[in-house]
Amino acid sequence: MSGDGATDGDIVRAVLAGDVERYAVLVGRYRDRYARYAARMLGSRDAAEDAVQDALVRAFDRLVDCREPEKFAGWLFLILRNRCFAEQRRRQREGRLLEDGDGAIPGPERSDSAVEQGEQRQALGRALGQLTGEQRDVFVLKHVEGLAYDEIARRTGATVASLKMRMHRAYDRLRELMKEHV
Amino acid sequence: MTTPYHGLVKRVLDGELTLADLPPELRAEGEDALRLLGAVDRAPVTLSPQLDARVMAAVRRHAQSPLRRAWRAVAAPREIELRLRIRPWALWGGALAAAAAVALLLGRPTTPGATPSVVAGVAARDSVFVRFVLYAPGAKRVTVAGTFNQWDQNAAPLVPAGTSGVWTTTLALPIGQHQYAFVVDGRRWVADPAAPAVGDGFGRRNSVVAVTTGARIL
Repeated sequence: MSGDGATDGDIVRAVLAGDVERYAVLVGRYRDRYARYAARMLGSRDAAEDAVQDALVRAFDRLVDCREPEKFAGWLFLILRNRCFAEQRRRQREGRLLEDGDGAIPGPERSDSAVEQGEQRQALGRALGQLTGEQRDVFVLKHVEGLAYDEIARRTGATVASLKMRMHRAYDRLRELMKEHV
Repeated sequence: MTTPYHGLVKRVLDGELTLADLPPELRAEGEDALRLLGAVDRAPVTLSPQLDARVMAAVRRHAQSPLRRAWRAVAAPREIELRLRIRPWALWGGALAAAAAVALLLGRPTTPGATPSVVAGVAARDSVFVRFVLYAPGAKRVTVAGTFNQWDQNAAPLVPAGTSGVWTTTLALPIGQHQYAFVVDGRRWVADPAAPAVGDGFGRRNSVVAVTTGARIL
């Protein structure tokens, strides 16, 4: 079966059987899918790239634990999510919240009329960096990735009620942090 | 300290209500809240083209590590014919001998996580002793559940082999094909990566062992 047509489960089983090169198909499929999530969680594309790379390598190392190979995508997401949380905890220990100089995902050139919106965007990026990891996680999944609460619950294992509680606390915190910008 | 958003405004942010659903005195607060969401950056993020090569280089390096190669040698599916002359007093002896061989094989676990293995010896005319082995360091309890015990999670506990993290049990299984999975600490189902697997119709995978009179190791 060709790499492009094979299911994730087919590829996982092939890799576990020793065909290491087939893992490149999974890397190609998922390298960018969660990049935006990681970038908004960590505040920069560089940090996101490190996290995605690390998650893909960790997933390979732990592939034998992927009990449902057809659900590799969701399993990889959880590895990346844990990696993002760990990075945030590390930064907190070191007294840093975001990568130096950002809020701050480089984007296309903006016209003058969009400068104010760009500043608000950067301010919100910095404010997201001051939320707790769980608050930022649910905010990014809902308002950046566009997922409904029940889908977030399915992916993360949290209940919808607890997700809403985190989100509502995040709204209040963001209101406080953004009061000079909105 | 800024006043928290009103609960109805939060429902607007959640997409459950619209501005028009808010009472007039909350409209301004609702508009303010929606401006906040308007600043969310949803632009796609594309990572460096070199990322794939870096990941695959690391993967190849890890795949060549002695630990991983040793694990593959243990976990790779293989088939062994056992030629046994059946005598009643020899039945348990044969099973124990096979168990000892695998215990030696797994005596030095080579990778974290599950490293199960199945060993078979002929038990009787219509059944075969099958030894289940799982490497589960840190587990408090391990059982094996399958079609041979109606998926009863408590019917077949494994016992730890010392403090090595290896758990084992030997069961007499009827000749035929059986599906099974290990249950770690009563909640984590672990399929046997060294055995063939089939879907159970609910999105999970079950391991499969074929028990024949020419006892096989899968």
